Formats: sequence, structure tokens, C-alpha cells
Amino acid sequence: MITAAETCDFINEVVCKPANVKELFEFTNFAGTQISRTEILILLAALIPVVLVYFGLRKKLSVPGKLQSVVESIFTFIKDEIALGVIGRGGEKFTPYLVSIFLFILVGNLFEVAPFINFPVTSRMALPLFLSLLTYLIFVFVGIKEQGFGYISHLVWPPGVPVALKPLVGIIELVSVLLVRPFSLAVRLFANLVAGHVMLSLLLASAYFFIVQPGVNEYIISKAPVGIAWFVLGLGIYGFELIVSILQAYIFTLLSAVYIQTSLHPEH
Amino acid sequence: MEAAYALIGYGLAAIGPGIGIGLIAGNAVQAMARQPEAAGMVRTTMFLGIAFTEALALIGFVLFFLV
Repeated sequence: MITAAETCDFINEVVCKPANVKELFEFTNFAGTQISRTEILILLAALIPVVLVYFGLRKKLSVPGKLQSVVESIFTFIKDEIALGVIGRGGEKFTPYLVSIFLFILVGNLFEVAPFINFPVTSRMALPLFLSLLTYLIFVFVGIKEQGFGYISHLVWPPGVPVALKPLVGIIELVSVLLVRPFSLAVRLFANLVAGHVMLSLLLASAYFFIVQPGVNEYIISKAPVGIAWFVLGLGIYGFELIVSILQAYIFTLLSAVYIQTSLHPEH
Repeated sequence: MEAAYALIGYGLAAIGPGIGIGLIAGNAVQAMARQPEAAGMVRTTMFLGIAFTEALALIGFVLFFLV
């Protein structure tokens, strides 16, 4: 954030903001290369869980070490609470997918509060959209595999509904399952992370401007307490964003499991 | 001016989900206090309900960006 703030021209500009909000959805490259910061962070977010799981489960000790117990507790939590708890019968085979997306999103989200990175990769719309389309493909595929053509026909012509209401409920079901589900899954992750990132940037950058006062001719000491107040508030939001990062990874995994469950066991 | 309208629109879109999330969390706390052994199940269901309710506010958030 502060490195981002230092690139601004404070003497000529009062407010340092992106020229266009569309910058949030674009990828900018490093000078002279075809690689952007986002791509490197995405690679890191994919590599860190792999390294973590590899070193955590390399020696399968019966009395686990620190790293092994962390990895094992994450794995057991997702297997018991999400895969078996939500999907139920037949949920074990989705455990690897759920663990992978949970760890990937978790690391991607935690970049938001990681010092010197301070940029959640999941706040680029491409990434949540891709992940939610992956879940979308899986639950539609599972639905068609388990129920055959009945999966689509039950959506359009839902059983157990009065005949007069069937077309209406069918349209609502079709739109909500096939359009709103992937969209809201992606947008939830994206919007939470963008909102958190913008809020943190605003608070901490205000603190920086008020305390350090870059680009001013004479330093005004009476402004510093205001900056300290902003800084304290920013630190509070920092802790809150840590919780939000973990919670959003959990919710994404949980909703993926719920969507898979609805196409695996349609009777519920 | 359009940005101001978008801001008001997002504020209005946040009212309903705010009430909804409050109801969900409050009732979940009540349920957990009455039956602490069911806390795990209640928590999962609470997060699900919050996630679904929050979607409305998020659509408002996206509209705010689009305008």
C-alpha cells in the first residue's frame, strides 16, 4: 500500500487514484516483460500449498510434528465437516478437490494481509470466476452423471410442485441454478476481497499522508494525531480482514460442496 | 452525479441483507445457546444462510462498479 502510495505524484495531485475503475479488471505487465505481478502471485498461491502439503506429509509420523499436525487438521476438517458433513454419502472422492481450492483460495486471500505483498490475487475477477466455473462444471457433470437427463428436466419441470406453478418455478430454478449460482459464487469472493483491499488502502494511506505528509513544504505536527487515529483503525480492520480471508475461503469451499451435494442427492 | 446515484443505490441494496444477516446470526446464537451440542451444525447452516443473503448486497456492489 505504501509502496503503491509512493508512486504517486503528491505535489501535483491531491488524490492519488487509478484513472479508471476498469484497472481493477486489467492485468498490467512489468516493464519490458510479459509477466505481471498478479501472475507471479497466482503461481505462488499454487506453489505454497503444494510445498506445505509435501513437507507436512513427507514423513507420516504417528506422533505428528508441528507442520504435519497443521496440514492434517486442515485436511481432517475439510474431510469431516465439509466433504462428509455436507455432501454425505459419496463425498470422500470430492475431498481432494475441496482441499485444493480451499488451500489455493486461502493463500490467495492471505496475500491481502501479508506484509510487503498486500494484494489479494482473488480480487482479480478472472480468478474467482475461473474457480467458480470449475465448481459449476463439476456439479453439472455430477448431476448429469448421477441423474442422467432427469437433472435438466427436474430443473425445468420440478417434481412435487402444483402443475399451475410448474413453469414459473421451473424458470426460477433454471436461472438460479445455472446462472446465479456461479455468478454469485465468483462475485462473493471477488467483492469481499476488493472491498477489504480498498478499505485497508484508504485507511492506511490516510495514516501515511497524515503522519509522514509527503510532498508538503512545511510539516504540520498537529496533523499527526489524526494520522495515528487512522492507523489504529486501519490495524483493527487489518485483523478483521484476516478473519474475512479465512472465512471467504471456507465459504467458497462450503458452497461448492453444497452445490455438488444438491446434484448428487436430489431428494434433499 | 451518476456515481452519487450508484452510491445511494448500493446503500439501499445493503439494507435488506443487513437486516437478514442480523436475523440469521441472532437466531443462530439463540439456537447455539439453547442446544450447545448442535453448535457445529448450526454454524455451518448459519454461514450458508449468510452467504446466500449476502449475495443481494454483492449484486448491489457490482452494480455500483458498473455505473
